[in-house]
Amino acid sequence: MTAEAAPMNRPRVGLLTSIKRLADRYLLMTYTSLAVIYLLLPVAVIILFSFNDPIGRRNFVWQRFSLDAWLNPLGVPGLGESVWLSLVIAFVSTLFATMIGTLMALALVRYEFRGKSLTNSLIFLPMATPEIVMGASLLTLFVSIGNPPFFPLNIVTILIAHILFNISYVVVTVRARLVGFPRHLEEAAMDLGANEWVTFWRVTFPLILPGIVAAALLAFSLSIDDFVITNFSAGQTQTFPMFIYAQARVGVPVQVYVIGSIIFLVAVISVGLTTLAGRRQSSG
Amino acid sequence: MGGWLYRRRRFIPYLLLVPGLVWLIVFFAYPLTQVFLASFWSGSVQQGYSFSISNWTNYPDAITPVLPHIGRSLLYSFAATVLTLLIAYPLAYTIAMRGGRFKNLLLFLVVAPFFTSFLLRTLSWKIILGDDGVVFGPLKGLGLLPEDFRVLATPMAVVAGLTYNFLPFMTLPIYVALEKIDFRLVEAARDLYAGPWRRSGAIVGALVGGVLAALLAMAFDWSIPITAVLAASFGAFVGSVFVSEAFVRITFPLSLPGVFAGSLLTFIPAMGDYVNAEFLGNPDTRMLGNVIQNRFLTQNNFPEASALSFTLMAGILVVVVIYTKLLGTEQLTNSRI
Amino acid sequence: MSDQPLLDRPVTRRAVLVGGSLAGFSAFLAACGTQGTASSPTPGQTATAPPAGTPAATSAPPTTPPVRATYSTELNWANWCCYLDVDPADKTKWKTLEDFKKKYGTTVNYKEVIDANEGFVATIANQIVAGQDPGWDIITVTDWMVARLIRLGWLEKFETANMPNFVANVRDVYKAQTWDAAMAYHAPWQTGMTGIGADTTKTGEITSVKSLFEDDPRWHGKVEFLTEMRDAIGLSMLALGLDPRTPTRDGADKAVALMKRAQAAKTVRDVKGNAYTEDLAAGVAVLVMAWSGDIVGLQAEAPNLKFIFPTEGVMFWTDNVCIPKGAVHKGTAELLIDYCYVPENAAQIEAGVAYVTPVKGVQEIFAASADNKALATDPLRFPPAGLEPKLVPFGILSDEDETYFNEQFATVIGD
Repeated sequence: MTAEAAPMNRPRVGLLTSIKRLADRYLLMTYTSLAVIYLLLPVAVIILFSFNDPIGRRNFVWQRFSLDAWLNPLGVPGLGESVWLSLVIAFVSTLFATMIGTLMALALVRYEFRGKSLTNSLIFLPMATPEIVMGASLLTLFVSIGNPPFFPLNIVTILIAHILFNISYVVVTVRARLVGFPRHLEEAAMDLGANEWVTFWRVTFPLILPGIVAAALLAFSLSIDDFVITNFSAGQTQTFPMFIYAQARVGVPVQVYVIGSIIFLVAVISVGLTTLAGRRQSSG
Repeated sequence: MGGWLYRRRRFIPYLLLVPGLVWLIVFFAYPLTQVFLASFWSGSVQQGYSFSISNWTNYPDAITPVLPHIGRSLLYSFAATVLTLLIAYPLAYTIAMRGGRFKNLLLFLVVAPFFTSFLLRTLSWKIILGDDGVVFGPLKGLGLLPEDFRVLATPMAVVAGLTYNFLPFMTLPIYVALEKIDFRLVEAARDLYAGPWRRSGAIVGALVGGVLAALLAMAFDWSIPITAVLAASFGAFVGSVFVSEAFVRITFPLSLPGVFAGSLLTFIPAMGDYVNAEFLGNPDTRMLGNVIQNRFLTQNNFPEASALSFTLMAGILVVVVIYTKLLGTEQLTNSRI
Repeated sequence: MSDQPLLDRPVTRRAVLVGGSLAGFSAFLAACGTQGTASSPTPGQTATAPPAGTPAATSAPPTTPPVRATYSTELNWANWCCYLDVDPADKTKWKTLEDFKKKYGTTVNYKEVIDANEGFVATIANQIVAGQDPGWDIITVTDWMVARLIRLGWLEKFETANMPNFVANVRDVYKAQTWDAAMAYHAPWQTGMTGIGADTTKTGEITSVKSLFEDDPRWHGKVEFLTEMRDAIGLSMLALGLDPRTPTRDGADKAVALMKRAQAAKTVRDVKGNAYTEDLAAGVAVLVMAWSGDIVGLQAEAPNLKFIFPTEGVMFWTDNVCIPKGAVHKGTAELLIDYCYVPENAAQIEAGVAYVTPVKGVQEIFAASADNKALATDPLRFPPAGLEPKLVPFGILSDEDETYFNEQFATVIGD
């Protein structure tokens, strides 16, 4: 279904060939535009329906334009608390996962040690495990411990789960940055008399910082959006996705679409800014 | 001082690894064994649980009644994987080969949906695919669709949701694989092989289209012969017109690792998903994930729930181990970023 | 069953119908008087009952229990959706809770986390068994679940001495449940009916519950069943001419077969909990098993919708507030429950919740008020007297039968 450029020397130009030439020129780009529209369509719907003014609770049919929900984005009982909780969890789990994961990535790239391949598997496996299995196994663990702080389920158990699924992603992201790392800069610093500690903070860290920031952004967005694993480890604690899930049974209020839109815009802007900053740094 | 550090150098990696390893072992590896043990429990929340090997019967007891769900999970996940592959390949191909200066922007747009809530995105398909919504309302108005036609609360909606939600998981690995291809190879191939795939393309296209469409028709309860014939003709057209021999001989084989990685990254989460089936389907579309969720969180039936999750995990582990033995983990991890 | 004596009781013109029974779920109904007509004392009233002949019209004066030092500043209440009055001044708040918080200086963590009895109780079962704080001080569950929780010993006993309004104002028909004769473990919150919700402009006139199971082009693919087992099996049994007051395994089999037949014929679009309201409002479902209070709420946005009392009857149930074992703020929970039993407060709640109130005097307050006069004659809040024999409570199930019913019904839900 995919095309390579048509060969130059063709004896005859048939109908099929002219279709193919047209295709080559326009079809793939048209297709890609359509695919991107398809990918972004639900996001557009979320943003559009955040301006809806539905009758009653059910935000499924377009009624009329309204700014009400945007002017009062937390105007539903329980929404504000759940958003705040999600932000706290995303922040804390990102902080811990980024630290833990960066250390692991450093160890994996910089050192040879026994058990390296086992460690690699242990980092890889959580990413290949269906969320429901990871959530269910954490639930089984917490319930079988049966004592605080692991039980009853609470913010601590959510944090444990979020840090867990974020670690692997952080390791992989930071590792990718470390692999192409200019080691000679560190060696130069050491030759000039800096010890390992100083070298790390003055040379290594600034250079891998973009990777760490990218990892942190990824972890933050995974955490703030996680539903399945949280559903198993939250008990009665309600994060933003848990709130959406609960509301989905009775009609998701417009304000939820507003928060969804805000999260999207903030994420897009912060990723855009980091990319720009990264570019400036690497070109400067 | 140098000597002190030097002597301890070999411990440094372990020091760096300790927090992460502890976390992964205590909260990932150990709980998985815990689930395995729990699948041999008997008892209930009220009475407490006890372990016994003789409780292996939990497995047949748990699995037998949900065989339809397991079948559906396999079928829907497979259908979603095929559909994401069909949609993602040309997309990844265009970005990698023709992206030019828009490459990064296009990649960004592919992952952009992840920047907002998965649940909300799934719910917004409910708006888009509504019985009289923006898509089907006008079609019904024009008389192109019967009045009682609907996609929501059918397998079509569930597969559509899975396909949409996991499309980036398929696109990125294929992109990464295509991106690595040395374009000179393709140039050389062009000199060797002449142009479109023609007859073989038509045959292969018709076969692939027909077989895949027959499977989809099974999932969606469509007429299998009609769907298969239509898809086979379409496949033959695409195969003979759009596919060049250079692509078949060079580009596609080189992109296969990406295709496999993407398929795995789509199939695995689809197998465990229960949100799409719950939001977009109805009782006839419930999947294994719905059952596991229900046994754990509603029925509090830990033994049967554990037996089911362990079965799912074991099935997926087998696939993953075979995959990594053949292809390694690099494709999978690199493209998930 | 023993509902005859109750049914025979005199019913006045503006009789108010309330749920309750002598023998558990198997009986129900009574009437309470109006304008000075005293409600008949229920036979077998317990010691905690108010003095016989308390006029319902002149409700007991709202007595405020003394604020004790043991009251906490925190209270956690788990409830179903749409079961409390939203503050008209601030839609993010619940008016009754705001008033309560102001009066007693507590904070109330009120969450609409309950969507199904079983599913909710599963979230607190582990803690209760482990002897820990279940996380809630008040939970809201249907009466059959209360009976089970009492049997399991999972509820705290009320200190009824601290709940004078509750003792005085709970309507008589709610008393003398076999599973909690002294009303020491549960306080009725709302009573409701499960019948048919329909867009009659699309379906035409609907009178029989049998319509739910018939394949008719007018509602083909647009029927929805409820996921609450007792409601769905109950209505199916009514359609089959069976009596849900005395449920049998055979009856369950037949009811499930009836539902599965309708599903196989693609008459049924979905089987849902509270979410059916969404499809009904959107018009993608036109004939559904429905909870009475929901339809009242929906009529504001979809005036075509009607709640229909089928000729065979409606399922009749009561949700109750209870204090789970190990609740940390038991005293404050009792205070809040008692607060909701002050008729004025109950009327404020009732104006926002369209179910049947268990509190005496609410109808009179509506009748006397300027804004809410119409509510006093709302048949869904105060079902008219003629309907009584048609209000069918689901009979008591043994544990084994419960499991059997649930297993059979699981094939309808799909999980």
